[in-house]
Amino acid sequence: MKQSAAEILREYGPFPDADHIHGVTFDGRHVWFASGDRLNAFDPVTGKTVRSIDVAAHAGTAFDGGHLFQIAEGRIQKIDPQTGRVLATIPAPGGGEDSGLAWAEGTLWVGQHRGRKIHQIDPQTGAILRTIESNRVVTGVTWVDGELWHGTWEGDESDVRRIDPETGKVLERLDMPPGTGVSGLECDGGDQFFCGGGRSGKVRAVRRPGRVSKSKGPSQDL
Amino acid sequence: MDSMITAAARALATGDPLGALKRVALRDDAPALALRGIAMAQLGDLVRAKVLLKNAARAFGPKEAMARARCIVAEAEIALVSRDLAWPAKALAAARATLEAHGDRMNAAHARNLEVRRLLLIGHLDEAERMLAELDPTLLPPVSRAAYELVVAGIAVRRLQTKAARAALTRAEQAARAANIPALAAEVESASLVLNTPAARLVRRGEERPLLLEEVETLLASGELVVDACRNVVRNAGGVVSLATRPVLFALARALGEAWPGDVPRNTLLARAFRAKHADESHRARLRVEMGRLRAELRTLADVKATKGGFTLVPRRGRKVVVLAPPVEEQHAAVLAFLADGESWSSSALAIALGASPRTVQRALEQLAAAGKVQSLGLGRARRWMTPPVLGFPTILLLPGPLLNE
Repeated sequence: MKQSAAEILREYGPFPDADHIHGVTFDGRHVWFASGDRLNAFDPVTGKTVRSIDVAAHAGTAFDGGHLFQIAEGRIQKIDPQTGRVLATIPAPGGGEDSGLAWAEGTLWVGQHRGRKIHQIDPQTGAILRTIESNRVVTGVTWVDGELWHGTWEGDESDVRRIDPETGKVLERLDMPPGTGVSGLECDGGDQFFCGGGRSGKVRAVRRPGRVSKSKGPSQDL
Repeated sequence: MDSMITAAARALATGDPLGALKRVALRDDAPALALRGIAMAQLGDLVRAKVLLKNAARAFGPKEAMARARCIVAEAEIALVSRDLAWPAKALAAARATLEAHGDRMNAAHARNLEVRRLLLIGHLDEAERMLAELDPTLLPPVSRAAYELVVAGIAVRRLQTKAARAALTRAEQAARAANIPALAAEVESASLVLNTPAARLVRRGEERPLLLEEVETLLASGELVVDACRNVVRNAGGVVSLATRPVLFALARALGEAWPGDVPRNTLLARAFRAKHADESHRARLRVEMGRLRAELRTLADVKATKGGFTLVPRRGRKVVVLAPPVEEQHAAVLAFLADGESWSSSALAIALGASPRTVQRALEQLAAAGKVQSLGLGRARRWMTPPVLGFPTILLLPGPLLNE
């Protein structure tokens, strides 16, 4: 397993009237975050809030290219980002213990916080397709380039880690500075993660280990 | 944090404990237990709340020291409101230290407020003041700020610094308004009543009138010789002679003070100090001895002179003499003073607060109950005492802010 200190590139917020960040996603232009009773979008270049949707938003947030998905209490809502309307609702697999949410290849991935699990579910029905065990609480989930990453946060310790989607084995770990937690996770598709900072009310951009290190990977195994 | 916990915590924060309970009623993980405990406390089921918070503190993992500390602070607050003064103060201090170490300033301040309130309640003013001095109130959010200012006012009232008390109450009122919690504003208002209700009676040349706390303060600074029957001391602006442990001497001093500038006949003094109906030679001899003792005690403040018919008080430097009496003459005034806060007390908590033996307090309570001045609830160890409710201002629970880690 590779382990390094997380490199924080930039901090956004705290944002007005959003004292908690519960979930984070990226629609290609704007970063969306859940703040309890609202979804908010800001421009990662300027840091300015651009819009918000009034909808229950208690945990993970995801974007499938067209719609936003948002965990609220024990369900997952599918939301039209243009109108803010809830188009569909499915039960969340953790029955309310759900934490992180990610979209990948036609399915949803849902973190179950204290259950230390990640469920892959059918976005139409909510049916569980499979479950991966982690050894830490799961606070945020994201997929990028075939890599499954999730956040953990227990007390003062928090990190972002890449796990093997088959076995749950930890492959790589970025340790956050003490007292800096990750409550939501999303990759911008390039070289940075957006991490929700829980009660700090901040979203932090964290450097994603580059593809350089990825190509180095196999040579280390040799 | 997970979705349902977030939803429940938000419900709690907006004053909807039933909404919070609805979401986590069937869950037994640590954050759910903590939220259920806080919700039950807000709903007034303090017994159940205590159990839930204790279980929550136990259920949080070793890395969740902060969450555990918040549970302990909540438990301590419930103990304080239920007047369970035997609750371990050390655990609260340790929890406060943990919160400080983790940078949770708001809840650390809340914990310190609780520590100071407990000290105030059991009459450890110096310690309370010392502890309060270590807190910077400008860092506190409105809710904690209001609680802080109430404690400052409480100390100032007991120290008879009415100007400081009034200023603190004004700040408390502003903070309570900013916090937008009606129960807190009501609490501040009821605390302010202390300044507008007679705190004592002034007896001067046989005439009586009620005194506000402010007037008591002015009187004590005026240079007059005050025979203070609220605290059983004789004082002027320069000094205090305590006769708290000398009831006979105090009774004599008070009789002399009430008659001043006249003298008090020997028979009256014998009746007041010894409850002697028919005075004989031995009583007179004893009176002479006691007067000698009183003269020795008061020598810096006043002289005690024999007159033709009895004795009189002659204050030094020609000052006047007045008597300060409790607003209502009461045999067990101290016990009633504690019960006057409207909370239910166990007799053992009262004993701790009064520094008296449990048996003494028990006897006083039984006598007061027979006179219809106090009432009790429950039996055995669970028995609680209170004054018949006059105006029910509960001591509201502020409880540590969001219990959750994020």
